[in-house]
Amino acid sequence: MTLFPDEMTAILVVIVVGFLPNEIWRVLGVVLGRGLDENSAWMQWVRAVATALLAAVVARLLLTPSGTLVALPFLLRAGAVAAGVAGFLLIRRSVLAGVLTAEAVLVAGAWWLGVGG
Amino acid sequence: MQPSETDADTGPAFRTGYFLRGVAGAFSVPGCVLMATFLGFGGLLHDVGFPIGAGLVSTLLVWALPAQVIMVGGIASGAALPALAVAVCLSGVRLMPMVVALMPLMRGRRPHMWLELIAAHFVAVTMWVEGFRLLPKVPVEGRPSYAIGLGAGLTAASMVATAAGFYLTGSLPGPLAVALLLLTPISFTILLVRNARERVDWLAIGLGSALAPLVANTPGGLDLFWSGVGGGTLAFFIARLWKAERT
Repeated sequence: MTLFPDEMTAILVVIVVGFLPNEIWRVLGVVLGRGLDENSAWMQWVRAVATALLAAVVARLLLTPSGTLVALPFLLRAGAVAAGVAGFLLIRRSVLAGVLTAEAVLVAGAWWLGVGG
Repeated sequence: MQPSETDADTGPAFRTGYFLRGVAGAFSVPGCVLMATFLGFGGLLHDVGFPIGAGLVSTLLVWALPAQVIMVGGIASGAALPALAVAVCLSGVRLMPMVVALMPLMRGRRPHMWLELIAAHFVAVTMWVEGFRLLPKVPVEGRPSYAIGLGAGLTAASMVATAAGFYLTGSLPGPLAVALLLLTPISFTILLVRNARERVDWLAIGLGSALAPLVANTPGGLDLFWSGVGGGTLAFFIARLWKAERT
């Protein structure tokens, strides 16, 4: 699969589509500094959109995965993530514990179903 | 927490000693978790056929995994580039309050625009958490250099992990390759749960993910835009109405 004609085009796309629209917020953070009210309605809306966007990214990764993950049933993919959240909440809110729980469920499930091996 | 105010600031704004201490500070448990998630990102790059050179540039310059995944996943699915730029821009909004909150700890005694911009570039979730933990222990005059060292160390480690993930995916046995690809969604989900404090956050998580399958085939590759802006806006207004009704 070729997404770009050459590496330079790919790098240019990364700069224009990825770097610039993302970096502007960091620059604004430095420039605006303290003049910004974090609790204004505008900022609350912006935070809600950013949260929903990240949740949508996760949902898309789980619903229409790429590569080897496709071989696993949706319920296993979603179940592994749910187990990871449970692991995170139950084991001292440790990110590492959550990630390891999810991975254990996924690999065990894949092994049991005989997929991906 | 209060730094000593005694010694006059006469030295240079950038100090190599503090920079190197910052680099060393990058190698901690959160640094390792971050490396693991970039292993997953490298696996994703390999999976969708994204060139590794451009992938490494994205880790260095974008330095925000959600934005990188939106961009790479979107390009792979053939989304329109302007729509992707908008989605990336929306996902980056959360960086601004992080920069605003962390900046007082990254400033030296005198304001120095360039050092501040470079330090701010490294601000992302891990840098934010680690900055609040480590920077208060650093003398004020060394903070800009230390923050840049910490960011550079985290970035360098993540670039190594990106490359490793890219080249490992092809040669890993099935179950491990699958595990690598799950790292991105699981770390994002835990991030969301960890940062959710108020009702509006939970509503945004629920609506954003519930809308995603409904708008999945929106023409023009705008699906992330609709589930993000639509779900977020709905969550914002529902939370407001709820609050208004209770008071």
